Amino acid sequence: MKSTIIKAALLLAGMGGLLLAAQDDYQNWNRGSAPEIDAASAGTALALLGGAVLMIRGRKR
Amino acid sequence: MVSDSVQSISVSLPGAAPHPLWRMAGLTGLLAAEQLLISARTPHIGLQDARGLPGLVFSLGGWKVRLLVSLAILALLFWQSRGKRNLERMSESAVGKGVAWRWLLAHLAGILLFAGLTSILFENRLQGVAADILVLGWAAMGAAAVVLAALAFLPTAFWRAILRGTGDVWAYVLVMGLGACVLSAYTKPVWNPLARWTLMLAWLLLRPFVPAVSADLSSMLIGTHGFSVQIAPVCSGFEGIGLILAFTAGWLWFFRREWRFPRALLLIPLGVAAIWVFNAVRVAALVLIGVAGAPEIALQGFHSHAGWIAFNVVALGTCLAARRISWFTTAGSGETWLAERSEPNPVAPYLLPFLAILAAGLAAGAASSNGFEWLYALRVVTAASALWYFRDSYRALDWRVGWPAVALGGLVFLIWIGLEPLAGSARTGEPSALAHAPALARMAWLVFRVLGAVITVPIAEELAFRGFLPRRLVSADFEAVAWRTFAWAPFLISSIGFGLLHGDRWLSGTIAGMIYAFAMMRRGRIGEAAAAHAVTNALLAIYVLATGNWQLW
Repeated sequence: MKSTIIKAALLLAGMGGLLLAAQDDYQNWNRGSAPEIDAASAGTALALLGGAVLMIRGRKR
Repeated sequence: MVSDSVQSISVSLPGAAPHPLWRMAGLTGLLAAEQLLISARTPHIGLQDARGLPGLVFSLGGWKVRLLVSLAILALLFWQSRGKRNLERMSESAVGKGVAWRWLLAHLAGILLFAGLTSILFENRLQGVAADILVLGWAAMGAAAVVLAALAFLPTAFWRAILRGTGDVWAYVLVMGLGACVLSAYTKPVWNPLARWTLMLAWLLLRPFVPAVSADLSSMLIGTHGFSVQIAPVCSGFEGIGLILAFTAGWLWFFRREWRFPRALLLIPLGVAAIWVFNAVRVAALVLIGVAGAPEIALQGFHSHAGWIAFNVVALGTCLAARRISWFTTAGSGETWLAERSEPNPVAPYLLPFLAILAAGLAAGAASSNGFEWLYALRVVTAASALWYFRDSYRALDWRVGWPAVALGGLVFLIWIGLEPLAGSARTGEPSALAHAPALARMAWLVFRVLGAVITVPIAEELAFRGFLPRRLVSADFEAVAWRTFAWAPFLISSIGFGLLHGDRWLSGTIAGMIYAFAMMRRGRIGEAAAAHAVTNALLAIYVLATGNWQLW
């Protein structure tokens, strides 16, 4: 039961978070103007985060 | 010089026949790329005032993204819970027949037709019943294209087995997915109060530095008489909160064995609180930069980069800090952490120079205005520092270079120039900020730009995209993978990743990545790939400076 609640909390937080972020961007995009969206900086930031995670996890085999 | 021990180790690849997971990844990648291509060229706003089914398509636009995100997570969770076991049970013969080219050709024909119908639909040319019929045909064609792609990558027997093996996982995930969709769709009323709290916190932070600062809760303006900005509801930090929620939940999920639950769940609200505070700091800093006399930097470079910098700092900061607190985790505390720290990180020499360039790029971008990055030198200095720091690690790699690498670099240059019309970027001359700068500053900027393009960028990117990524995709113990090892999936994934790094020039970048990978694998020398990359970039630098095609930089 405890494990199910933890999984549900993580799932809800993760999906809710992605949906929030995606919704905000999509609405800006849909309006035809997206001053907040800079694809280059978003791509750079996500690549940096992904690389950093790989590096942090890289210490362990 | 090369270490013979590294060269001589051979690693058995994960099965000669493509694993179902790679097929799934290929299918997802193909559909995602097609969706992006079609979506990027679609004038979504065209249906804003449409009625009937076209109007419904426009209003459901937001739900399309929610559905895609939910489906992606659903697939991931399915894989985590039961899919892996089911896939392992399936015989290789069910998935080992290769791509079904007939279905793939049918899919390509279908997706082309779908793209054509999308163009007609979103230009809102048809009205009434004709428009409704068009919507139905458009939706049917889209669904048919997806089904054809699914059958092209994996046989029907595989999909039947997947459906049979899912059990009740679909039900759980669908319920949670719908719950998350509804939550995210109806949280808008929270935006305005959140924006007001952000405004107040930013005002409090600014007061000690700018006594004349004022904040108006009715108009949501903050600043001084000389410079002020309006906090729109979308600037309330919602996007950052969403991203932090997703990152923290994902981190806790994937590395769940390291965390003490349920207390580790506290990291989620802690991360959310941290990103909200950082957003207020971002607003305060933006006003401070504007008031200090650099409104263009505040509203351009800083505005579009600071949020992403904050997200990276909070995401990594929260998780790294929590790993050192034994109350949260079992893995990274006390003696365990010290023991872990004492061992060298094998990934760092390959990734850190590249990550240094990315981090410096974000920082330099935040200080830019009118699209011109005055602080480009920061990328060169940070990458050179990282390369210098790990210089001992690089001595074990083979940096020898042959003439074929130079020729391959030249070939990539020709392909890059040849494919430039596909990038769709208009020819631009020298940035006016640079053209009107003092001669010494202009020359210094150009020197660093060329040094970065020809030395630090090729070495850092080749270490990451040829030295690390493809070998890591073959085995977690990537150092044991021979440099000449070839496998299709790692080759394609690392090349496409390299291509995506180049934005609109993703196709040129992907082809370049493949050629650099070929240069490296031909003799198993990282030096060949770095040299080919450096030759390409040197030729591009000469081309840009000689012809004035600055859009290539």
